[in-house]
Amino acid sequence: MCGLAGVARRNPSGVSLAMLDRMSAAQRHRGPDGAGRYADAQVGLAHVRLSIIDVAGGAQPLGNEDGSVLIVYNGEVYNYLELASELYAAGHRFRTRCDTEVLVHAYEEWGTRMLDRLNGQFAFAIYDRPRRTVFLARDRFGVRPLYYSVSNGDLFFASEAKALFASGEVDAALDPVGLDQVFTFWAARPPRTVFQNVSQLEPGTYAIWRDGELQHGRYYSLDYPEARDENPNDLESLDALLNSSVSLRLRSDVPVGGYLSGGLDSSITCALAARRSPFALRTFSVTFDDPQLDESAFQRLVAGQLQSKHHIQGIGAADVATVFPEVVRHAETPLVRTAPAPMYLLARLAREHDIKVVLTGEGSDELFLGYDLFKETALRLFCLRQPQSQIRPRLFDRLYPYLDPRGRRGDFWRRSFLEAGSPDDPLFSHLPRFLLTSRIKEFYSADMRAAVSRGGAGGGAGPDALEELRASLPPAFAAWSPLNRAAYLEMVTLLSPYLLSSQGDRMSLAHGVEARYPFLDTRVFELAARLPTGSKLRGLREKAILRRWARHVVPPAVEQRPKQPYRAPDVPPFFTPTAPEYVEDVLDASNIARTGVFEPAAVAGLVRRCRAGTAMGFRESQALVGILSTELWHRQFISETRLEPSTVEAGGA
Amino acid sequence: MNATEILTRTRAYVQDTFLYMRPDFVLRDEDRLLQRGVIDSMGVMELLAFLRSEFGVTVADEDITETNLGSLADIVRYVAAHSNGNGNGNGAK
Repeated sequence: MCGLAGVARRNPSGVSLAMLDRMSAAQRHRGPDGAGRYADAQVGLAHVRLSIIDVAGGAQPLGNEDGSVLIVYNGEVYNYLELASELYAAGHRFRTRCDTEVLVHAYEEWGTRMLDRLNGQFAFAIYDRPRRTVFLARDRFGVRPLYYSVSNGDLFFASEAKALFASGEVDAALDPVGLDQVFTFWAARPPRTVFQNVSQLEPGTYAIWRDGELQHGRYYSLDYPEARDENPNDLESLDALLNSSVSLRLRSDVPVGGYLSGGLDSSITCALAARRSPFALRTFSVTFDDPQLDESAFQRLVAGQLQSKHHIQGIGAADVATVFPEVVRHAETPLVRTAPAPMYLLARLAREHDIKVVLTGEGSDELFLGYDLFKETALRLFCLRQPQSQIRPRLFDRLYPYLDPRGRRGDFWRRSFLEAGSPDDPLFSHLPRFLLTSRIKEFYSADMRAAVSRGGAGGGAGPDALEELRASLPPAFAAWSPLNRAAYLEMVTLLSPYLLSSQGDRMSLAHGVEARYPFLDTRVFELAARLPTGSKLRGLREKAILRRWARHVVPPAVEQRPKQPYRAPDVPPFFTPTAPEYVEDVLDASNIARTGVFEPAAVAGLVRRCRAGTAMGFRESQALVGILSTELWHRQFISETRLEPSTVEAGGA
Repeated sequence: MNATEILTRTRAYVQDTFLYMRPDFVLRDEDRLLQRGVIDSMGVMELLAFLRSEFGVTVADEDITETNLGSLADIVRYVAAHSNGNGNGNGAK
């Protein structure tokens, strides 16, 4: 895994190597094994490298035979050997054994249509010197990041936003509308970011820079062509595809380890990897002091069965608070959960054991309907079909079994689901979560409220985060089943912008560790999208077909285990007697007022309740994490920039 | 304890616990607490603990309903009916 950066000038006014070096230095953690750059009068490319394939030969920027096409690339294209043979047969000659070079020849052979052939997780920039174009692209599910900014007619791009700012030609300013999306969806929705005039390429899209203009295109759209019935071959296909997907992701010239949560998905990826590993697989887990969050019994069970060399990162409250400022710096965004912090420490542990590639189970819950949110959607529909029923709403009491049982039964609990929104709303499935998350906005300052509502393009009424999402839905959306609509919303609002980013890419690459996602193989996604909903969520049994298949792969206790969401302690870490000093400083009324996003009196009320230990439930814990992380983010990126109305005008881009 | 006293204390508690971040929020006695987003199901748990400590009223599971606890006025009615003149529970100030 690596970090890429670059600039494309509208006019050939020169690109300084010193600037490229600054951009690389800002994201050096992504690629500590090497660095390279290229510059001519118009275009500069910079790269930091984490050597995984062709350790000796894969330096970048890398060119074709005559140097007319140059690439900087972050990621893996798993079918590169197959593509290389095809390209070799077409007359291309290779100087390295590296997947990077395959992309260069693929571009020469197929142009932008090359993207249809890539199975992998990647972001890259290809400079075509004769055509004077720069071609940017990002993988289908948004595993790898690509940020860009157009400034004075020049294009800047990089794996992380901090590299853009290090150029010295892109300013870091707060985008109130992007921030408002964080407090609705947990993350800004691509192409928007929390920074003004900084965008991210949407998953499954590309952009071509020519003569100072950036033109966008989409090469992949999520689709759910659901079959009426399960095909007798589906289980066999699932078996073949998961095996193939894991095999491809073990292609590496360095050892590959596995993250093991103790749940079904990571147990599957570790089990399949262990079968193919010539030596004992190394597995890595987080354990929690809090028994409600801890899954170590299941982790030990699986590690024992796989006979892996198992490593544990214990997480206490103090650990979360200690690393949280660094977590926010790497995530580059405010957060509403502390859950990225343990992932940051887990990557550090893997790296300490010389593992720089890990397999991990993300994607399965989105593909096979694993989350409670999908059950909740099914139940809400079931109840709303017979609104008079007194019996049906009792089923809600079976949801979220990991929450405090006193809070999740009875009238209030049931009504909160029944009254959360109409099935006619395209966002029906996600309204409870979006509305709950939006409660953070009750803490906004008056300035922030005004800035959000003015944040629309042209300075008019700002886009409501939910309205904007509704307007972005693809034409096919309305024809999908309610649960497939929910799955799509989960993929685009949470998986890529939050899970794969704040909790994934940014946490693992903070320590130069590359995560690979066998469930996010295009072929696995497309199989899952074709399955009838009932094969995935059967009654209230999640991931049904995956469990059926996994019966002979993972221990029975794991196969039968209900989904336990991964969570980390949110409020306690910051209010123990040993909490780091920064907490008090960051939450101080004058500092809150200076940043201007939140209302100091409201924050003081929250702090009072946190100190007293009475802040229970997500409403307040998410507000605390949101406020703390906003302050930490603001200090590390925006510093003295105030939230003035004048800074808002450019926010609608 | 009379109804006015129960209402005053309960209102102060709700303002202080659930509405401290919304000082401009106007809460009328008959407003539905759930629908207006004042209390959610975790909040109900807090409210129950308050009713116990403040008025010595323990709400039975089957009584945790919209009818009994849906608004400030409902809560006052419920507490008044269940405190039986012994309303000054252990935790009362």
